[in-house]
Amino acid sequence: MLKTLLERFHRRDRLALARLVSMVARGERVEEILAGVGEPASGAASAPRGPARVIAFTGSGGVGKSTLIGKLIEQVRAEGQSVAVLACDPQSPLSGGALLGDRFRMPVRPDDEGVFIRSLAAAGGHGALAEHLADLIRLLEAFGFDVVLIETVGAGQGDTEVRELVDVLVLLLQPETGDDLQWEKAGLLEVADVIALHKADLPGAERIEAQVRATLALGVSAGLSAAPPVTVLRISSRSGEGIKELWQILAARPLRRGRRTSGRDLFRLAQQMLAARFAVAEAAGQSELQQLLAAWQQGEIASTQAALALVNLLISAPFQQV
Amino acid sequence: MIEPHPLRVVLAKVGLDGHDRGIKIVARALRDAGMQVIYAGLWLTPEAVVRTVAEEDADWLGLSLLSGAHMTLVPRVLQLLREAGLEHVGVIVGGIIPENDIPKLLEMGVARVFGPGTPLPEIVSFLREHSGASHA
Repeated sequence: MLKTLLERFHRRDRLALARLVSMVARGERVEEILAGVGEPASGAASAPRGPARVIAFTGSGGVGKSTLIGKLIEQVRAEGQSVAVLACDPQSPLSGGALLGDRFRMPVRPDDEGVFIRSLAAAGGHGALAEHLADLIRLLEAFGFDVVLIETVGAGQGDTEVRELVDVLVLLLQPETGDDLQWEKAGLLEVADVIALHKADLPGAERIEAQVRATLALGVSAGLSAAPPVTVLRISSRSGEGIKELWQILAARPLRRGRRTSGRDLFRLAQQMLAARFAVAEAAGQSELQQLLAAWQQGEIASTQAALALVNLLISAPFQQV
Repeated sequence: MIEPHPLRVVLAKVGLDGHDRGIKIVARALRDAGMQVIYAGLWLTPEAVVRTVAEEDADWLGLSLLSGAHMTLVPRVLQLLREAGLEHVGVIVGGIIPENDIPKLLEMGVARVFGPGTPLPEIVSFLREHSGASHA
């Protein structure tokens, strides 16, 4: 069945893409899917493409991430580029349920095949990212989207993990969101590449711009800031102010992803591969794994020792899909 | 081999009808029952709804209509779902639907019509009971 799905994917079947997104988001057969979409079937009409431009948007709930993405979709389409959106919303820690209400603010012509919007539930306690986001980006890139826009849950202050997964991280702020001490706190302001002061048609926009610029300038002038220069601009989805300029800035930023600089990226990939192997072995009821788990559950081996044995077991067995 | 996963339900209002109180309450009930609810919004065309169902890989589509246009819009949505290869998606309808129209909608392929006053657990258990084994 996966084989058929992958064939349909290479024929650019959007339902197959949607189903594969579901599977990757749930962590099902991720390794196989990514291997499968990476190599087009023979005869498939897929010219080699450049990497997608991946842009993430973060900021507190209600700051206008979805609305802005809706406006940027128009900009991207006006330039003839295709765009996929991954919109993350929180999942209940109690019920596991989620209300995904972002795409509601992203109107798209129903027959426009150059846009693909998908809502994702992000489990609590893992930052603001839906699980397997890096894999989902690779999947959409393989489908051929020129631009991938990611809307985070909007955890606000701690949402820095996403930076490593994307080319550009946009932080949205709005008027009346606290005094200038907020901007001195470590975190988001340090990792953002672009700071967009949204709802600039409301009073207080100039003041927040001055505060943010002053905070950033302090780091630079004192030689404290290790971060690259940040672009700050005022925008308004309501009036349209700055939207076009924002897209021009985002489109001109150098692509950060794909540069093989961070050992952590490789480590993350290794983690994912181990997780996929464990899931397969567990589902298949592999006998060595069951013996190891039983010995550990009965207290015959210490946990650290069992964990090491588990790693060895997972990497020694050839990866096989059931 | 695959763990059960939460049901994905698209909720939408089609046509010229701004009464979204009911659909939001249903959205909340399904969320609290552990489902992933994609709220697609109101004033949608049947084409936009079907596109959402496709992109979201939904298991169910819930349509709310209080405008009286259900005998025009619901068949249109069902037809577009079939044309898009989405006949596996179950469709439920809520809102103001006259008694006489309910059998007709069911015959067209609607799984169930839930009128005003339906206890919310009834909708939850209906979706659970009529979904495949791969769902939680």
